[in-house]
Amino acid sequence: MSNEEFLAKLQVVFRQVLSDNSIVLTENTTAKDVAGWDSLSHVMLVVEIETAFKKRFKAREIQNWQRVGDMITSLQNG
Amino acid sequence: MVFTSFVFFIFLPIVFVLYWFVFQGRLRAQNLLLLVASYFFYGWWDWRFLSLVAFSTVLDYTMGRLIGGQEDERKRTWLLWTSLGINLSFLGFFKYYNFFVSSWVEAWASVGIGMPDMTLKIILPLGISFYTFQSMSYSLDVYKGRLEPIRDFLSFATFVSFFPQLVAGPIERAVHFLPQVTKPRKFEYQNGVDGVRLMLWGMFKKVVIADNLALYVDDIFKNYAQMSTGTLILGAVYFTVQVYCDFSGYSDIAIGVARLFGFDLMSNFRFPLFARSIPEFWSRWHISLTTWLNDYLFTPVSLSLRHMRKYGIGLAIVITFLVSGFWHGAKWTFVVWGLVNGLLFIPYVIKGRLMQRAEVVAKGRWFPSLREALQILLVFTLWTLTLIFFRADSMGMALGYFKTMATQPTGSVMFKTGVVYVALLMVLDWVNREDERNPKVLHMGPRGLRLAVELVLAIIIFFNMLNGYKEFVYFDF
Repeated sequence: MSNEEFLAKLQVVFRQVLSDNSIVLTENTTAKDVAGWDSLSHVMLVVEIETAFKKRFKAREIQNWQRVGDMITSLQNG
Repeated sequence: MVFTSFVFFIFLPIVFVLYWFVFQGRLRAQNLLLLVASYFFYGWWDWRFLSLVAFSTVLDYTMGRLIGGQEDERKRTWLLWTSLGINLSFLGFFKYYNFFVSSWVEAWASVGIGMPDMTLKIILPLGISFYTFQSMSYSLDVYKGRLEPIRDFLSFATFVSFFPQLVAGPIERAVHFLPQVTKPRKFEYQNGVDGVRLMLWGMFKKVVIADNLALYVDDIFKNYAQMSTGTLILGAVYFTVQVYCDFSGYSDIAIGVARLFGFDLMSNFRFPLFARSIPEFWSRWHISLTTWLNDYLFTPVSLSLRHMRKYGIGLAIVITFLVSGFWHGAKWTFVVWGLVNGLLFIPYVIKGRLMQRAEVVAKGRWFPSLREALQILLVFTLWTLTLIFFRADSMGMALGYFKTMATQPTGSVMFKTGVVYVALLMVLDWVNREDERNPKVLHMGPRGLRLAVELVLAIIIFFNMLNGYKEFVYFDF
């Protein structure tokens, strides 16, 4: 899967979890850039991303994510 | 020493003059001055407990260095847990030992078995919950790789003991504060003036609003059994405004004093009494503790329970609030207060409406919409009810307060004059609501008017201070 494909699939999950179809993700998108992406919704995002990509992340890995690009790196490593 | 005592107004100018006029341009000398001044400030209360602040400083400085220099993941984790374990042991002994011992004795007594009283006469060191959490955040951040361990011990010691926020917060994070200690500071006149204005506003909230409401609150809670429903409702509302003005007033003074020395402390309150939902409330109330608990407790717990989805999030929220309640004090009333606040979050978890709205309420408008007003009223009411547990001396008193409030509707309503303080705070806070760091009531109009308002405020504060000092509520935590 290319970065663009990861990004597109992640964008679908974000839009669904945060109920906002206007969300557009880039690799440099951070929580500050997306309305409603807070620590609470973050957990739901992680669950849905794990389901969508059939992958289980380590808690420490998740806590080190600073931007969407870090998520993609974790997904690629799996 | 406390901000609202006369001795502080001698202490502060002396430190200020030495800092900017004698040690200007010499960073290490300025930091050393702040360290000495901070230990003096704390030692004014009880010098013996300075050893605890010093121990916490040495412990986390050393552990930070050891964790940072360790490559082996297992050893790093072991070092972190050692650091947390020692910090929490001190906190546990001074704050919770008697609670656990007496609960243990009472539990056996309830089944008819007598146990010897093993409680000790322990003085709660001022601010121990605050500086322990601040110091622990450093080791945690170094462990998580968010921060490089600092080599300069003087800067680290200044970070842990910085007197404006040492005893009651805001609980600063090393990531935000340490870079400020290690870089030269420049005095900016406007920043200094704004700092004094914020101090003035904080003192007004504490000395004029909170301390006067405390007189009503103390009387009503002490004699609740003889009061009517109306009086008890007033008592609960007065306490809500009292505790808000007391604690946010302290935070405002702390942030203002820090500005005088060129430091930027984090905001601790963002008009929580105007919150429109429970999640929004917690993004506005005691922000430095809430974000601490969010980062170091809720996030790891919720991630480890995420396979349970919403149930896991709900459970993590309840656990976090139970810890928050317990952080406030070693009493069952605080534990129940925390539990109830956690449970109030559950409907939002179920509905999936967890997003926090922290933007300005009714921005650009004079008044909130009817829907917003009702939402604010609902959150205010729920918060006020939970605070009855927070204020009560015991669970028996809290439950008695609720029972009397529900069963004495016919009696006369007393202490109505306190409403003036509540209304005054609400109106002024509503005017201020766009910026918690620069109260609009002190920044409006031409210069002459501003000076007049500041002078009147200072005179009112002075005369209220003559009535005697009343301790900050959060000093007990």
